[in-house]
Amino acid sequence: MLDTHALVHDFLNKLKRRKIEGSKGTAKLTAELLRTVISQQRIPNTNQAGALVDAIKAIGEQLVAANPVELAVGNVVRRVLHIIREEDLSLMTSAIGGPSLSVISDDENDVDRDDYPVLSAAAVAASARNALRAPSLQTLLEDMSHSAAVHHSSSSVDDSEEKTKSTDKNSRSRKLKHNVIETVNELIQDIAACHEQIAEQAVEHIHHNEIILTLGSSRTVIEFLCAAKEKKRSFRVFVAEGAPRYEGHILAKELIGRGLQTTVITDSAVFAMISRVNMVIVGAHAVMANGGVIAPVGLNMVALAAQRHAVPFVVLAGIHKLCPLYPHKPEVLLNELRAPSELLDFGEFSNCMDSSTGTGFPLLHVANPAFDYVPPKLVSLFITDNGGHNPSYMYRLIADYYSADDLVLQRKPAS
Amino acid sequence: MWWRSASFILDKNDSFLRDDSETRLLSPPPSSSMAQTLDPNLTISPYYQTRAAHHGVVTSDWLAQAHAAAGRDTATPSSEPEASLNSIGSDNSFSVIDEFNNWRKQPDLAEAVAAIRALASVIRSSQATTMMELQNELKTASDSLKSWDMTSISLTAGCDLFMRYVTRTSAVEYEDFDSAKSRFLERAEKFGEISYKARKIIAMLGQDFIFDGCTILVHGFSRVVLELLKTAAENRKHFRVLCTEGRPDRTGLRLSNELAKLDVPVKLLIDSAVAYSMDEIDMVFVGADGVVESGGIINMMGTYQISLVAKSMDKPVYVAAESYKFARLYPLNQKDMVPALRPIDFGVPIPSKVEVETSARDYTPPQYLTLLFTDLGVLTPSVVSDELIQLYL
Repeated sequence: MLDTHALVHDFLNKLKRRKIEGSKGTAKLTAELLRTVISQQRIPNTNQAGALVDAIKAIGEQLVAANPVELAVGNVVRRVLHIIREEDLSLMTSAIGGPSLSVISDDENDVDRDDYPVLSAAAVAASARNALRAPSLQTLLEDMSHSAAVHHSSSSVDDSEEKTKSTDKNSRSRKLKHNVIETVNELIQDIAACHEQIAEQAVEHIHHNEIILTLGSSRTVIEFLCAAKEKKRSFRVFVAEGAPRYEGHILAKELIGRGLQTTVITDSAVFAMISRVNMVIVGAHAVMANGGVIAPVGLNMVALAAQRHAVPFVVLAGIHKLCPLYPHKPEVLLNELRAPSELLDFGEFSNCMDSSTGTGFPLLHVANPAFDYVPPKLVSLFITDNGGHNPSYMYRLIADYYSADDLVLQRKPAS
Repeated sequence: MWWRSASFILDKNDSFLRDDSETRLLSPPPSSSMAQTLDPNLTISPYYQTRAAHHGVVTSDWLAQAHAAAGRDTATPSSEPEASLNSIGSDNSFSVIDEFNNWRKQPDLAEAVAAIRALASVIRSSQATTMMELQNELKTASDSLKSWDMTSISLTAGCDLFMRYVTRTSAVEYEDFDSAKSRFLERAEKFGEISYKARKIIAMLGQDFIFDGCTILVHGFSRVVLELLKTAAENRKHFRVLCTEGRPDRTGLRLSNELAKLDVPVKLLIDSAVAYSMDEIDMVFVGADGVVESGGIINMMGTYQISLVAKSMDKPVYVAAESYKFARLYPLNQKDMVPALRPIDFGVPIPSKVEVETSARDYTPPQYLTLLFTDLGVLTPSVVSDELIQLYL
């Protein structure tokens, strides 16, 4: 137990000091940390899934608070919570199918539960699946009655048959943990392999003699372009340098190293050159539930230029970047201001820093936002590990990977 | 369909000819019944009349009282339907519509809830012994309700939702007829609670999007939007509201009254001043009479206009609607719905040969809407058809 506390504390510090860069690295470390927590967590015999969920939520709350702008942390926490709920569900449905027949013979006195043993396992499974899915029109009327039925049946399984109870439960608790950790391992592997899976689709989107535009540097984009190069597509790349970090320079060097013809341009020249471009391919920091993109600064401008010239704007994003929240004010709430030294050299401007008006406010301000918000109507296509999607399709992926209960990570105070 | 052709001159000639033939037999009919002789379906929409009646009388104190009364009523629902049944006997269709009207009169109760309560009363009074019989009775009652007021979308949607629930549940699980019947009744009673909770959920979701110092434009008197603004005000958000006047129902006056009570700064605009003020507006909030399959909404006349202006100036349009308002309609243009007419009083007499556009509602296509706040969560317009497919197909 002490082990996990130390690990969590360590990770929290790294997040607070922004020592970890890149959503893929953050996501991987978060998933590994949660896996350790799950394996160390001692869980009670009843309601194991609930206990696990509470534990993960507690840690998740702290992690998200440490770095609210790094959405990948919250995404992975919610993924793990969803995995726990799903595994619990599949275990419960397989368990109910067995002992339900014996329950009928045991409980004659209890009038309430007369109806429930009659429910077939299939019906319970179907209703339980409904309970797990986000609320929909289907579950509007059915919801409460069926979830009550599920709880009754699970409790009837628990209460009867004292002898087999303890062995059943122990094996179930071990199974739950085991299944959850297995699935979390798969999640970690998926995160690690997201670049390859996205790059596999490159050859469908890049054709001969095309000109691709990109801004800044993204590992996903590099892999994507090189995969197309491997498949013998010949194309050119325009790289906008991506001030103030000038990561575009690094990207250009790498592309040349892999044998691609590259042209470097300034950010301001994007509008001038975009008419010559066939497609814009960029990476993202995070994708929001409405299909909007949190991307490195400057990409909103590129997206607008692309729309103006009817150039497809393609965003590459691994599934761990998909966030189930809707952005109310993304430019402010999900943005970070980086150091002004990236823009202005302190040595030259040291005399300006002191001069101020009578009230004491400095005359010179430097704003260096890290991210831009690109609204969904400017994005043509999202390429994720499992294929290409429309921005309006994001809600489907969210329903697949996240549970509605986990959107707010704050635990409800015990009443 | 009705008046879509541009050849309005020919149509007018037709109507005059018909009118002439009637005058030989009777004295000239007044202008309102002329509309009725032309097409018996073009009657005044009862749905919008009820809403107007609500607006004339409703204040928040009265709402609170009515809600408390409704809460007491649900404890003893059997007294009312029994009374109406005893007087009419086995004629179920009559009692359904009367039931429905009784429930609908309460201003805090949504249309769909009233419809489902009316259908529940059909179940309660039914003599059926098999599931098929019960379903048939329900289908007849639901059809008669729908045909009685074809203009109300939430009525149709509520009936469809309940019918869908009945047919799906009965086929799957319960072998015992009586327990199934009691299950339906329980769910129907609970539906009122769900509707009330739905407004709370929507209010919680939507008020996140209101930031300090923002200016909101509201059109029409939607109880859901009012709840949303109330919640935002209770959470100490500082915002101001511009209300459109909302002729001819004077919804803006009602709404500004309510908001003034919450100490929210309100400004009234005439409907034509929307584009003029759109610059200073940060977002538009509207309710919906119905949400259609394409993701668009049907709402009070003027919503489409406002959404067009908002879209052209890049302002988000947010819709607050409960999920039971999702309807299986797909209007292709403004006239592609059952016409819902509301008499408009201009205050001065109009010459008889001047026509008046009396439609009470319009259709806003999904591309002008940004997000829908429903009790199923925050949705983009493209999710609506997905939800409907899941339920109905």
